[in-house]
Amino acid sequence: MKRGLIAWDKSELPPQAFEARLRRLRERLAELDLPAAAVYSDLWKSNYGRFYSNLMLYFNRAILLIPRDGQLLLLCGLSPRVYPWIRSVTILEEIVPSPNLPASLAEVCSRRNWRRIGMMDPDGLPYDLHRALAACVEIHAVPHESDEWERAMHRRARQMAWDGLNEELPVGLGMKDWEFAGRLERSLRRAGAEDMAILTTNGDCAPGPATGQTLHEGFSVSLALEYRGHWTKIAQHHNSADRAIPHAACLEVLSGPLPFQICEKPPEEAVVASALEVREGAHRYFSGDAFWSTKNSLEPL
Amino acid sequence: MSPLSAPEINAARVNRLVGLMAEQKWDRLLFYGHAWRKDFFRYLLNVNFSGPYAIAALERSGEIRAVLSHPWDVELLPEGAKACDLPMLNRGSAAVAGLELMDAGLARALGENLVSATSQVEELRRVKEPEEIRALRRAAALADRGYERFAEVIEPGMAEFELVAEVEGFLKSHGAEDNFMLIASGGAEVTGMKPPTERRFQRGDQVTTELTPQVDGYYAQICRTLVLGEPNAKQHEAFSIFKEAQQAAETLLRPGVDTADVARVQNDVFRRRGYGEYTGSKYTRVRGHNLGLHPDENPYVLEDVHYTAKAGMTMIAHPNTYLPLSGYMVLGDTLLVTPGGCERLTLSERKLFQK
Repeated sequence: MKRGLIAWDKSELPPQAFEARLRRLRERLAELDLPAAAVYSDLWKSNYGRFYSNLMLYFNRAILLIPRDGQLLLLCGLSPRVYPWIRSVTILEEIVPSPNLPASLAEVCSRRNWRRIGMMDPDGLPYDLHRALAACVEIHAVPHESDEWERAMHRRARQMAWDGLNEELPVGLGMKDWEFAGRLERSLRRAGAEDMAILTTNGDCAPGPATGQTLHEGFSVSLALEYRGHWTKIAQHHNSADRAIPHAACLEVLSGPLPFQICEKPPEEAVVASALEVREGAHRYFSGDAFWSTKNSLEPL
Repeated sequence: MSPLSAPEINAARVNRLVGLMAEQKWDRLLFYGHAWRKDFFRYLLNVNFSGPYAIAALERSGEIRAVLSHPWDVELLPEGAKACDLPMLNRGSAAVAGLELMDAGLARALGENLVSATSQVEELRRVKEPEEIRALRRAAALADRGYERFAEVIEPGMAEFELVAEVEGFLKSHGAEDNFMLIASGGAEVTGMKPPTERRFQRGDQVTTELTPQVDGYYAQICRTLVLGEPNAKQHEAFSIFKEAQQAAETLLRPGVDTADVARVQNDVFRRRGYGEYTGSKYTRVRGHNLGLHPDENPYVLEDVHYTAKAGMTMIAHPNTYLPLSGYMVLGDTLLVTPGGCERLTLSERKLFQK
C-alpha cells in the first residue's frame, strides 16, 4: 500500500483547488460556529486528508487541524526526518511531531481553548483517538463536499486502470495468476500508480487474491487502483459471455471516508464502483467500472 | 513458489485462545482487521480479505464466525467458520484484539462494554508455530530474491518509482501477497527513507531500501545499501559501523536476553566509533522490531523498551540511521530466535552493494 509514487503535480491539481476547498470548509465552520475541523488520516483512510492538503501517509497516522482562522497544523506520527518530504508533496508547512497522537490532540485543543470541533466522519475515527478526543471536546459532524478537481483526478485514475488492464488482459491466458498480477502491477506502477489491489478468478468463485492458479479461458480480473490518492475500481473478463445472465451486483463508495465501503444505494456526489457478476452455466464472469453518482443516476466519469 | 492451499483453522491456536478467554473471563474474543492491519483477523482466520474491514469471532465453545464487509470475501472463509452479521456479535461480554484500530462507530455497534485484548493476543502471536516459521522462511527467501532483483535492475537515469515498480512487480509475480518497501537515494544529505519519488538515480548515489514481502500472511524484511559506482572511503567506514552493530545484535540475541540490550549493543558500536548522538530519535527510529503478520510489530528494539526474547520469535535487527559520513544508511536481516541463539532467515550477503 502506498509504496508507489506519492507526488503533487501542480499542473493537474493547482494550489487554488486547495484554497477553494479550505474556503468552503471554513465557511461551513463559520455557519456551524465551530473554531476548527480535525481530519484524521492514515495510509488507508486518506481521502479527506488528501482532499484538503494533498497529504497521503505511507505509514503511521496523523490529524490535520484546519482552524477557521489561521494556518493548517498537522499532528504527525511520522518522524521529523521525513517532514521535508511531506512539505514537498502537500500544502502543509506547520507539522508537529506527535508520537502520542491522542495526547497531542488533547493538548492542542486545550491550549487553543477549543471546546467544540468539527469532524468529517467522526464515527470513522479509530477507537483510541475517538475516546481521547471525546473526553476533551464536543465533536460535531461536518459534511464533506467533493468538487470537479477531485472528479477529474478519479477520471485519470480510471483511465490509467483501463489502459493497463486492456493492455495486459489479452496476454494473461495460461499465466499463473500471480505472474499476471505482478506483470500488471509493474506496468501500472511504472505509469505512476500509487497503490493497487488485483483480484482474479477462473470463474469458479468470486475474484480473490492470487494463489498460484493458472488462468483459464474466461478468467476475470478486478483491479482497484490509486492514483495520487484517488481510487478507482474496474473489472473485466478475458472473453465475452454471450449467453450470460446477470446474477449479482455490488456498489462500493471510493471517495468517501473509508474506500470501498459497500452501499445499497450510492450517496450523491461521490465516486462509486459498480461490479456486475453474470453467469453462463456455472461459470461466473465479473465486470465493473467507476462512476460519478448523482441524485438519480450513475454517470460515466 | 508452489500454489497456496486453502486456509485452514489452526486447532492448537484456537485451543490456546480459548484458554486465554477462560483465564480472562471473556465470553467472546473478536479479531478486528482493516485493509492495512489485517493481522489480528488473520491470526484466527488466515484469509486475505479484500473488503475494508473484517471481524472474526471466537466463542468459548470454539465456534468461529466472521463479519466480512465485502460479499466476495465470504467465499474465502475456511471450512469451520461461518459468516454472520454484525448484530450477531453484540451479545455478552467481548474482548477485541485490535480494538484501538477499530472505527469508533463499529465499536459502538458491538456494544458498550468492549475491552481490549490487543496486548494479550500480541503476546501469543510473538512466538511462532512451525507453520508460521515455514511461511516466514518463504517470505525471507523472496526478500533475498527481491533484493537481488533490485540490485540487478537499478541504473543511473531510472526514477525511484520505476525501480520500485520493477521490484513490486517481481515480488508479486513470485507469490508475494503484499510488500512494504521504502527507499531513498542521494548523498550525505539524505536523512531517511520514504516512498519513491520521481528523482532519477545518478552515478555516485547511495541507494537504501527495505523490502518486506508478505507470503501466506507473514512478512520478512531485509535492509541493504547500494552505491551506484565506487563507494568512497566515508561510505566504507560508515558501512563497517553498521555491519559491526548488526553483528553485535545477532551475536547477543537468544532466549532470555532483554531486547533493550539488543538495541544497546548496536548503539554501543556507534558510541565507540564516536557517533553515539546518531542513535537517538532525531536521526533514527528503532534498532529493530518484531515481525510476523504485520511488518512492524512490537516490541520495538529500543534501549528503553524491555522485553525478554523467547525461542520462536522472529524479529529484524537493523541499526538504520543517519550518519554525517554517509547520509542515511541501512542494514538488516530477519532473525529467528532459536533455543541456542538466533538464525538469519534472510541470507543476502552483508556488504555495501555497488553497481
